[in-house]
Amino acid sequence: MATTEQQTTGFGTWDVSEERDLGGGQREMVLNMGPQHPSTHGVMRLLLTLDGETIIHADPIIGYLHRGIEKIGENKRYSQFTPWTDRTDYTAAPLNNLGYILAVEKLCGIVAPERAQYIRVIMAELSRIAAHMVWLGTHALDIGALSMALFTFIEREKILDIFEEFCGARLTTNMMEIGGFSRDIKPSTIEKIEQLLKEFPAAQQDWEDLLSENPIWLARTRGVGVIEPEAAIDYGLTGACLRGSGINYDIRKAQPYLIYDRLDFEVPIGTNGDVYDRYLVRMEELRQTLRILRQCLDQMPTDGPIMANDSNYVIPPHHNVLRTAEDMQRHFVWVIKGFNPPKGEVYSAIEHSKGELGHYIVSDGTSMPYRMRIRTPDFVNLQVLPYMAEGAMLADSVALIGTIDIVLGSVDR
Amino acid sequence: MADEQDLQPTASPDDVVTADEDNPWLTEIAEQQLTEPAHDKTGIAKVHPSLVLTGFWGPLSEDHPAHVALMTAFGDRVKEIAFFRDEVTIRVDPSIWVDAHVLLRDDADLAYRMLSDLTAVDMLKLRAAPRFDVVSQLYSIKKRWRLRLKGGIEDGELIETLTSVYAAAGWLEREAFDMFGITFEGHPDLRRMLLADDWEEGHPLRKDYPIRGYSQYVEPGFEGGAAPRVKDNRRL
Repeated sequence: MATTEQQTTGFGTWDVSEERDLGGGQREMVLNMGPQHPSTHGVMRLLLTLDGETIIHADPIIGYLHRGIEKIGENKRYSQFTPWTDRTDYTAAPLNNLGYILAVEKLCGIVAPERAQYIRVIMAELSRIAAHMVWLGTHALDIGALSMALFTFIEREKILDIFEEFCGARLTTNMMEIGGFSRDIKPSTIEKIEQLLKEFPAAQQDWEDLLSENPIWLARTRGVGVIEPEAAIDYGLTGACLRGSGINYDIRKAQPYLIYDRLDFEVPIGTNGDVYDRYLVRMEELRQTLRILRQCLDQMPTDGPIMANDSNYVIPPHHNVLRTAEDMQRHFVWVIKGFNPPKGEVYSAIEHSKGELGHYIVSDGTSMPYRMRIRTPDFVNLQVLPYMAEGAMLADSVALIGTIDIVLGSVDR
Repeated sequence: MADEQDLQPTASPDDVVTADEDNPWLTEIAEQQLTEPAHDKTGIAKVHPSLVLTGFWGPLSEDHPAHVALMTAFGDRVKEIAFFRDEVTIRVDPSIWVDAHVLLRDDADLAYRMLSDLTAVDMLKLRAAPRFDVVSQLYSIKKRWRLRLKGGIEDGELIETLTSVYAAAGWLEREAFDMFGITFEGHPDLRRMLLADDWEEGHPLRKDYPIRGYSQYVEPGFEGGAAPRVKDNRRL
């Protein structure tokens, strides 16, 4: 055994690099990857046990970005927690907002008005595109298609501009309120979305022309990281990781929330369960998302309330707060004391860009949740990495990390 | 302090579909969904239409197939079935924790083959005993139903691991161990998950864990007490 360097960190004592002699001319090597490695998409550490270039075992070590968001949730009022959900998966903040808000609304038993539900779907789907742009750009970058990140981030920038115009922020949007929205969507924003719908298919075609039949891309992705359908279910995978293996489970179809049951779209399914199939599934998801956006813009009522009319749980309209004493008092109490939802517990799941995002809230009837559990999709999905990596080549490890589509803020919470 | 029953459901199974005057379109959707054969929505008719949109959990009565199957197999070790909104929670004795999951997974009709989530809740402030609830959220792709299973254990008591039933339980149980200090018997790799391996200060999601930790963080160079201490006015 030749230990090159010993290092002590908060994550225990570990050998940076170690070589073990197994006897009989066989050797294995423990290689540390990360946590500052660019292809781990954040701060994840992988301990790889190698036999030559073949991975015998991969052990993901996470928690470097753990901020205790669940504990914070137990000490914040319901309305105060929405900004924290932005910071879990920071590439798709509106989707996180939506998951949390739907859970609270279910707990309180309130429903957003129709127009607000359409705006929510529009923002969530835009956010899904933006998140897939980050995935595609960085995933292709890891595998070697360096220019993809530049192309996809151009389109992502347009979506962030739409968010900025709608709510004032690009990344940490905090755009949804309990009961609906506080700001309506402007005609100019809708125009921008229309513009995006026109331009996006051509851009996506360009990327697919570059990747889908590229021999290098095929060699790096086909047959790599295969997940059997049984294993995918057993590991609790959701999102493209599950659908790439041929299991049809999309919460928007299986348990439709908001107005998804009115929309006509298809759920793409893979067949081989390898990296390439998950790539195809996500690319097709982008097209379906554009279809959803098109239908939402067509079906959305042109006017109507965007905030639920509920005096217990919903913040009073800003316009009224400045003009009537009652609403000003209600606003004061809502902000200072919060509201007390009924006692009970709810689990509400939505289809995030990465899979099933579940919020499990236990309420004891006070203004703060008793337990705030966030079931993030990529935390559960990342668990399959050792299964995929076993027997894979060292160079494929970056493809395997990329294909799960992790964001460490969401994994560590 | 509320006792355990207060935390349990307020929705009664007799709630019928009522026209929502503010949102007439919701009733419309609910009716459409109920007549639509493609979706299996048994039991949803008894819930307020707004909740139809949030998920399907099966019939809100003791006749829930999962409850019937568990009762047939384990009798009085299935403690209770509870309903809140459209959700179904079955509380079981921790001694049948694994067997109940195996039964629900392998039942050909129910097929709860996916473990969506596994976590725990520290019930310290809500009831006297037992201290923790271990909570699992199951999903059946076949039936499109969710189900929540609960088992109550005392501090220090062991509960059997689900890793032999669902591979997904591996990390989820490690996280529950990390955050609550619940030991899962037979778990192959029960280490800290999100906190550092050498974290000495217990388990942060317990209700008696102070929000700023047990010891104050002192910046290097201020060990002599020169660092101003911020008064902690927040609750525990």
